[in-house]
Amino acid sequence: MSEGTPASRRGAAKALLSFRAWQPPTFRHFNKRGFWALYFHRGVWRFYRFGLELLVGPLVSSLLFVMVFVVAQSERAAMVPGVDLIQFITPGIILYAVAHTAFENAAAMLVFEKMEGMIADVQMAPLSPLELLAGYALSSATCGLSVGLLVGGAAAIFVDFSYFDATLVFGFAVATALLFGLLGTVVGLWAERWDHYSAVEGFFVVPLGLLSGTFFSVERLPEALKEWIYFNPVFYAIDGFRAGLIGYAESSLTVGLTLLTALIVALALLGWRLFAIGYKIKP
Amino acid sequence: MGRVNGRGLWTLYMKEVRRFLNVFTQTILAPMVTTLLFLAIFTLALGGGGRQVGGVDFAVFLAPGLIMMSMVQNSFANTSSSLVIAKVQGNIVDILMPPLSASELTLGIAGGGVTRGLLVGLAVGLGMWLFVPMQIHAPLFVLYHAVMASLMLALLGMIGGIWSEKFDHIAAVTNFVITPFSFLSGTFYSIERLPPVWQTVAHFNPFFYMIDGFRYGFIGHADGSLVAGLIVMALFNLFLWTVTHRMFATGYRLKP
Repeated sequence: MSEGTPASRRGAAKALLSFRAWQPPTFRHFNKRGFWALYFHRGVWRFYRFGLELLVGPLVSSLLFVMVFVVAQSERAAMVPGVDLIQFITPGIILYAVAHTAFENAAAMLVFEKMEGMIADVQMAPLSPLELLAGYALSSATCGLSVGLLVGGAAAIFVDFSYFDATLVFGFAVATALLFGLLGTVVGLWAERWDHYSAVEGFFVVPLGLLSGTFFSVERLPEALKEWIYFNPVFYAIDGFRAGLIGYAESSLTVGLTLLTALIVALALLGWRLFAIGYKIKP
Repeated sequence: MGRVNGRGLWTLYMKEVRRFLNVFTQTILAPMVTTLLFLAIFTLALGGGGRQVGGVDFAVFLAPGLIMMSMVQNSFANTSSSLVIAKVQGNIVDILMPPLSASELTLGIAGGGVTRGLLVGLAVGLGMWLFVPMQIHAPLFVLYHAVMASLMLALLGMIGGIWSEKFDHIAAVTNFVITPFSFLSGTFYSIERLPPVWQTVAHFNPFFYMIDGFRYGFIGHADGSLVAGLIVMALFNLFLWTVTHRMFATGYRLKP
């Protein structure tokens, strides 16, 4: 992967914005079989083959988080009046596992293929840019949701989720998985080495996941940060998901869903264009 | 024991150090950021209302535990990943072929892990010092437990790395042994909060002694016996060193 000369970078930027390139995809010729091979066999099945590491690992670390909070919580201070601390943080931990897995899977898969030179196999196949994007992003979203189901199922044994609103829970979980699956795909295309990927993970995705109201109520934040958190889309995702599980929300669910949908559409368009111009994957 | 191959040992050690310094954003800065985030979320979630643990503010209590956690996780990651990658890619012969004895191999690779552990600990400590009013009560305890804990996990990482045949194996060890032990051995809470049975169990856990002793160096309060901690760490490291040395000497899962 070369850095790209200024001229070729300008060319890429131009192609990204070029009008001619924005043709709508032709759904009639959607390569179903190719998509399925990329989605299931390369994406989802690969993930399950490493199940011990990729499925059970997040499960153990999520449950450890819950356990630490159970032992370390102070009896006096409830997070929010009327809401149990463990009930409050568990939904955040579940959704963090979903988001992190969805991001990690797409990005790591792309960086690995680029580093090993295997990306050519995917590009040689008769798959359109849209099919490529769908294959990577949807398989990662599926993996993220699998982890979410596992962690959520295990957490439901210990934590009271009797207020269960399936629409909200699945709506926000699917939106988060899609958002981070797409983000992972875009970052995977951009990253040229492993440390680029882990820089984005360590300095962007993990902080975003941990500081977006996962473990604390807005009320606990210092004044200066209180207004800013309402500009953070992940905050809405976690809040909406929590609302579906325990029925306590701190923000507007409509605003949250609209914001997440808009971001998903924007990232999908970006990812689709990046595949179409072969950004950093075609010589 | 003949003469020590000083140059070979230094080369091996520097190879291990350069291996992680080359990607220091991934190996030093990322753990530092994650640990500071842990400090932020645990203080926000659990430290409300001027809560005191062990006679100090919750954040002051928590900080040494988190520093220790990041140190041990990173020294384990360094030696285990170095050996597993070398084995999977087949370049393990490059460290087995040179005229290095089993002791020199153990010392060189463990030294790399200890160096990473201490550097991460230093980075995390400096980062936390900006936010938390930490004071060093007993510098020698801090130093002793920092070195001993990094060494212990570096040796465990080498044993795990030599035992593993695939990345899955070492990932399983990390997920099911190292992470739970570093999380549950008193990093986030005083051991007095545990049910009595688990308190007894904790006194057989070296992870508990290293966190407890390290924390004593900062806040001057310990849950367990300090002398026991010093002895347990020394003996356990001696035991692990012997095991690792035997593994290199016999070529267990290293030589065909």
